[in-house]
Formats: sequence, C-alpha cells, structure tokens
Amino acid sequence: MAAPCRRMATRSVLHFLSSCSRTAARYTGSRAFFSASVCGATVQTINVVKKATGPWTLMAAVCLERLPVISADCNSVEQQFKEMMNQMELEKSVMSDHELRILADEDKRLRRQADEYDSDEEGGSKDQEILWAQDLEDIWEQNLKSFQPALRVRADVDKDLTSPERCLADSLILLAEQQVGHEKLWMLPQTQWQEGETLRQTAERALTSLPVADIPTTFLSNAPCGVYKYKLPRAIRTETSVGTKIFFFKAVLSDRAPCAAAHASFQWLKKSELQGFLKPEYLKKVNRFILCL
Amino acid sequence: MNSVIRKLQVSAMQQAAAIRRAPSCIRLPVWASMNERQYRSKPTHGIGKWKYLLPKERRKKSRDKRQIIPIPIVEATDTAYGTLNFKVSGYDMTLVEHYSQYIHKVCSRLDIKIADRYALQTKTIELMMMPDKGKKMVIDSVIKTHERVIQVQSLNTLLCPVFMEVLLKNQPEGVQLSVMEHTDAEFKARFKHRPDLEVLRTQVAQQ
Repeated sequence: MAAPCRRMATRSVLHFLSSCSRTAARYTGSRAFFSASVCGATVQTINVVKKATGPWTLMAAVCLERLPVISADCNSVEQQFKEMMNQMELEKSVMSDHELRILADEDKRLRRQADEYDSDEEGGSKDQEILWAQDLEDIWEQNLKSFQPALRVRADVDKDLTSPERCLADSLILLAEQQVGHEKLWMLPQTQWQEGETLRQTAERALTSLPVADIPTTFLSNAPCGVYKYKLPRAIRTETSVGTKIFFFKAVLSDRAPCAAAHASFQWLKKSELQGFLKPEYLKKVNRFILCL
Repeated sequence: MNSVIRKLQVSAMQQAAAIRRAPSCIRLPVWASMNERQYRSKPTHGIGKWKYLLPKERRKKSRDKRQIIPIPIVEATDTAYGTLNFKVSGYDMTLVEHYSQYIHKVCSRLDIKIADRYALQTKTIELMMMPDKGKKMVIDSVIKTHERVIQVQSLNTLLCPVFMEVLLKNQPEGVQLSVMEHTDAEFKARFKHRPDLEVLRTQVAQQ
C-alpha cells in the first residue's frame, strides 16, 4: 500500500484546536504543561517516507511517560556538598526581618525589666506589645507539628507494576500487552495507520483504544522520535506485505489523578525494567529515545 | 652508528645556520606587536599610538526613552514551530531564575534561536488568617509568584520532543513550566494601561 504524502491544509484551525484540547493538560499539582495552542499553527502532516511500491504496513506507537513526581535522593557526595553549601550560605547571609524583630523584642524586654523604665518614653503603638516575635515562632512550630507529610517511598505501591503511582522518583513508561499475529506481546501501545490521517493522530488513537478510559496526555511534538522496522519471516512474506514500520511518538502524562481501574494488560515500568518485557531487537530501538536523566 | 649521528648533527647545524643567516626576512606576526614592552624611560615611549589624536565620541545619554519595538513573530513552517514562549513560574525566586538560566543554556547548547528573555511582573498574594480571639483579620504571610519568559524562535520539530523531555526531567520541585505560542495580545499585556492615551486616541478617531 503506497503511503501518500499529503498536505492537510484544508482542515480548519478550529477543528484542530478542539482535537488538541482533548489531549491538552488540566493543571494539578506542581507541574503544568503545554496549552493547546502549541500545535495550533504547525501543519499536521508528517513527511512519511514515500516508497514506489510501498509494501510496508505503517503503525504508530506511543511512548507515554509519567515523569518523576519527587526529586531523587542525593547520593553521599551530593549530600555532603549540599550540607557544606547550606552552611556557607548561612554564614555569609544577612539577618532577615523576622530575626531582626526577635532581637529588637529582646532589647525591649530587657529594658522593661530594668527598674528605671518609663513606658511613655517608648514611641511604639500598643498593638506591638500583644504579639512578640517569639510567640509567632511558637505558633508556627505548633502548626508544623500538626502537619503530616506524605511518605516519599511506599514499598507496597512500588511493587505493584500496574499502578502509575509507583517509584515516584523515577520516570515510568507505559507498556501494553497487545495481540500481534498469533501471540500476545508486551510493547508500547500501537495501532495501524489508516488512509487520510496523520501519524500523530494514529498515535492518539492508539492511546484511546486501550481498555483504560481517557488517560490525560500531552504529546511533545508532531514528529516521531524513533522507528522500528520489522521484516516478516520469508515464509509469510508476500509482495504486498514485507513487514511493518513502527513510528514512536513521545507523550507525557499530564494529570496525576488516578486513572480509573488498574488493568492487568498494561504496566508502568522503569527503563531498567523494560528488559524483562520487551523483545531484544525492539528494546534496542526503544532504548535509544528513552532518556534516563 | 657514528656516521648517522654525525649526519643528524650536520643537518641540524645547517638548519640553525639557515635561520640565523637571514634575520631581516623574518616578519613577526601582527599579534606579537601587542605584547611588546613599553620602555617608559626611553624617548620612544608611546611611539605608534594614534587613538588619542582622534576626537572623542560621547556616549548617548541613557535618559533617552528606549523605544520598545515588538520582535516580529515568526510563522510556523512544516518542520519548525514559530515563536514559542516558555514561561517559568514559581514561588521561590532563586529556583525560577536558575531554571530559566538553565533553559537558556540548553537552548544555546542545542543551537536553538532565542529571540527574547524577559520577566513578567511579580504577583503578590497576601494570606490573611482569622485569629482565635478577635474579629480582625491578621496578615499571616505574603506569597510572591515570580515569572520568567524565554522566547524561542524556529524550534525544529524533530528536536522538540528531546528538548522538552530534557527540560521536563530537570524541572525542579515547585516550579511550573508552560509553553505557549507567542501572540500580539501577550506582548501588549506587559504594558501598563494608559487611560489618557486612549481618550486622546478616541478623540483623534472621531475627528
């Protein structure tokens, strides 16, 4: 099947923006992502490789990533350096307003306790005497004690491979178990390209076709980030189908709200854990564009 | 063995002699003249200086109002985005500043063209708490939101996912990053509202 290279200029901008807003972010938590207007002006077609005979079937796959939620723990060198820098900054720093106020209050208190003290000499208003700076500090400390921060690492959630909340310090990739030919394989979610749509739309379709409903995602670009070529074994190869080419698109999970029900057919894995699930050739191509920072 | 050594010695001597024989033909490179000594006690001190003879140029007075010219918005093409605004915002100013500097450095490393880099106005939120005793609201704390914008032009579509992923993975806690297309309205929003100018404009339009 020849893969034509067509320009989608006839599509109206409004239609595109509406389709974009479905995948655009709803901002919660500390991360905020793109707005729909990023992709607004760019033309949506990808320059698909144009072949004369075109015996390849084209597919688009999505590399959906959940970015790390909390910062990774420092190793020993980083910890030591951090402590040293903090100490140096503390020693070089100037006093803040609050600290100056504490000192001023101390002076006032000492002067009041002295025998020869005339309160009329003091120029300050009466309101200042009600709340000392030290009292404020006590109130703040009490508020802090009543605050319970959430645990950074939870061992039971970490072991559950289907939960997107595991391993908050690392980035996770979504893998789905899909039927290919006669067997079920673990791979990045993919679907076949159809006539008249861009590869990116195919990738978006791949996400929506998953059994889990409506994962809020943001695609990072209109262009693919990687490609994997699979040639069928000689016995099955015909003139019209030599193999498949899979184009990978990068997307980022934009909303951290828990997705409906964790399904057994897809997992969230770290880059190091991908080895146990993906075929070696496939893994080699996929590893090239998954950044491990 | 000895004959070889002697030949080497002879050839070395010949080369040295050749260099010494024609000192007048050697021309020092231009940069060597800048490292020459000054010889301040000698009468030739200051020979060759000429800049003091030219009339002095006065610097333009900085009191002249700078004309703020909007940077032309680049249109998007097939392979590149147009003008994009990367807005970094957060409560901690050091984090926001450092992250925006980091984005700038990554852009210059990857040869991405940066059109402009500016800061938006700091937004202040005052938190007021009602104390246990008393009816008057007391100011508990003041929170400031800082924003920095980096304007990027012609970002290549193929480079975009890699670039975005690097930025997102290195985003510090407490800092938000948002990427928008640059529009004229956004540019105009940076300026103060001038009611008297608008009144004059309507008068001119009516006439």
